[in-house]
Amino acid sequence: MAFLELHSLTKRFGAITAVEDLTFSVERGSFVSLLGPSGCGKTTTLQMVAGFETPTDGRIVLDGRDLSGVPARERGLGIVFQTYALFAHMTVAENVAFGLEMRKVAKAERTRRIADALDLVHLSHLEDRYPRSMSGGQRQRVALARALVIEPQLLLLDEPLSNLDAKLREEMQLELRRIQREAGVTTLMVTHDQSEALAMSDSIVVMDRGRLRQDATPFDVYEMPQSSFVSRFLGKSNNLAARLGESGPDGAALHCGNVVLHGPKADLPPGPVEIALRPERIALTGPDGGKLRGTVAERVFMGNQWLLRVETEIGDMLVMRYNTGRREADIGETVGLDWNPADIRILPAETNPA
Amino acid sequence: MRRNGAAAIAFNLVFSLFMLGPIIVVIGVAFTPEGFLEFPPSGISLRWFRAILDNPEFITAAWISLKLGVAAASVATVLAVPAALAIGRGRFAGRDALQALFLSPLMVPTVVLGIAFLRFLSLLGLNGTFTGLMLCHAIIITPFILRLVLASVAGLDRSVEMAAISLGARPLTVFRRVTLPAILPGVIGGWMLAFITSFDELTVTVFIVNPSTTTLPVRLFSHITQTTDPLVASVSAVAILFTVVLMVLVDRLYGLDRLLIGEGKR
Ligand SMILES: Nc1ncnc2c1ncn2[C@@H]1O[C@H](COP(=O)(O)OP(=O)(O)O)[C@@H](O)[C@H]1O
Ligand SMILES: [Mg+2]
Repeated sequence: MAFLELHSLTKRFGAITAVEDLTFSVERGSFVSLLGPSGCGKTTTLQMVAGFETPTDGRIVLDGRDLSGVPARERGLGIVFQTYALFAHMTVAENVAFGLEMRKVAKAERTRRIADALDLVHLSHLEDRYPRSMSGGQRQRVALARALVIEPQLLLLDEPLSNLDAKLREEMQLELRRIQREAGVTTLMVTHDQSEALAMSDSIVVMDRGRLRQDATPFDVYEMPQSSFVSRFLGKSNNLAARLGESGPDGAALHCGNVVLHGPKADLPPGPVEIALRPERIALTGPDGGKLRGTVAERVFMGNQWLLRVETEIGDMLVMRYNTGRREADIGETVGLDWNPADIRILPAETNPA
Repeated sequence: MRRNGAAAIAFNLVFSLFMLGPIIVVIGVAFTPEGFLEFPPSGISLRWFRAILDNPEFITAAWISLKLGVAAASVATVLAVPAALAIGRGRFAGRDALQALFLSPLMVPTVVLGIAFLRFLSLLGLNGTFTGLMLCHAIIITPFILRLVLASVAGLDRSVEMAAISLGARPLTVFRRVTLPAILPGVIGGWMLAFITSFDELTVTVFIVNPSTTTLPVRLFSHITQTTDPLVASVSAVAILFTVVLMVLVDRLYGLDRLLIGEGKR
């Protein structure tokens, strides 16, 4: 049995179904991200785990204990809110002390634990400051220390990095992961940022319109998306409508317009499908090589890589090339596109496009 | 509109004079050595300030007004803070009706209120008592507090309270340690505004006082209907001084602009 389990969790607000039949679990000590576009029900899910929203249906089980009927105050969870939600009239040390006071922890032990928590987030030198005189990154650390000092069974993070600027956000990704490992606390993070989820998580739960779309490791979610939505939501992807022919021993035939492509063996019945191919898996060859011919229509230099849009007879293809210091194909140039057929993903055709 | 520099300064000067004019006149008159209202005063004399001591009914009235203001403002605050929290954040049926009810004393003409209170207090047998007067004042000044506290509540981040709850705080602890400190500027500002409103309330009060509960404004009013000596000016000057000292004190303790601009967060 997993440490945290959500069973068929559903939440309706009147006519709106914010979360629908959501089932997943979180292993003890792991870092799991709930990933999905804005409004897909991530915060609502987190609030149900925290005890601030009551599920319409379903169960939440933490360490073998059913949480329904357990008030938020008694769940013993650490929560970091998107706005940090610090107590503005208290110093850093007083903020961190709050949870310990509520637990009636003796003075001496309290002082020691506050010091430890601030040490963990590298804020020991600022314990007498007020939140208003601190930067966003520092406030975030205070919020973390305040949540962790009570030694919570579970740490809940709601878009913890979204209020930081881009550079700080990347630093804090690593920092947050370090803190989580050192504290050894099971963590559930909500984010709409796929790169954040990929970089930080042991496991990603992808949500869309209240429903679970995939639950796997970051590598598997990226490499083996099970739906068009997941393939497009994580990273860049070339998605094309195709018709799946009979699968032979060496793979499947995929009909895209007048072009026939080869893909890996598919578990789907013949008929309409969607194929996905990552831009970084496509190589450029001379105009007569490769599997598809096209014309470079756009070219963006991104420092470490080039992003090209190539017009082909089956549609536009994005191609990502590492910048190796050599000249890259120019706009208007005719090129050939080549890839390994095993890199093609064959997905069920989206019946209800987003 | 770059040319209006001089005109704007002139306008501001005139406007400031207009605002300060009555206060300057009252203070000027208070220092007159003469036996009638005279401005500018022909000399400087403390004659009419000494006269206050010979008219202890003014001191008694001031004392009643002070106690009345403190009691009414405090009672109204205790009523208005929970109401503002409920109205400002709740989603319940009758929320708008509740808000309208609490703000209604602002809408009803004060004369009408005075007559209504007179009748109401006799029904309750509280006519002419300090308690009755205090309750009426509390009702009149509640809207002032409610509005200031509502503004603070609007700036309140709900997740701050959730954070406190998740750390194990009970509802009363959340209110005392987190919610109240966050809306305190609005509460103190509202209390002060309410106190001042009660302190100089006249229209309603004349209907419901009796000789033993006469407030300062009522005493001043009845004095000038009989005579026109500068005693009213010196009493007013003392009241102005008292207000200024109060303001300076609050400013030192808390920051006046933060109160009056109503900033909810520090
Ligand atoms: N208290 C509420 N009342 C009504 N609808 C709500 C409430 N909270 C959230 N919703 C709706 O539920 C859906 C999911 O919201 P939320 O969980 O906040 O999404 P996310 O955090 O993924 O952006 C949205 O459509 C939102 O409008
Ligand atoms: Mg959200």
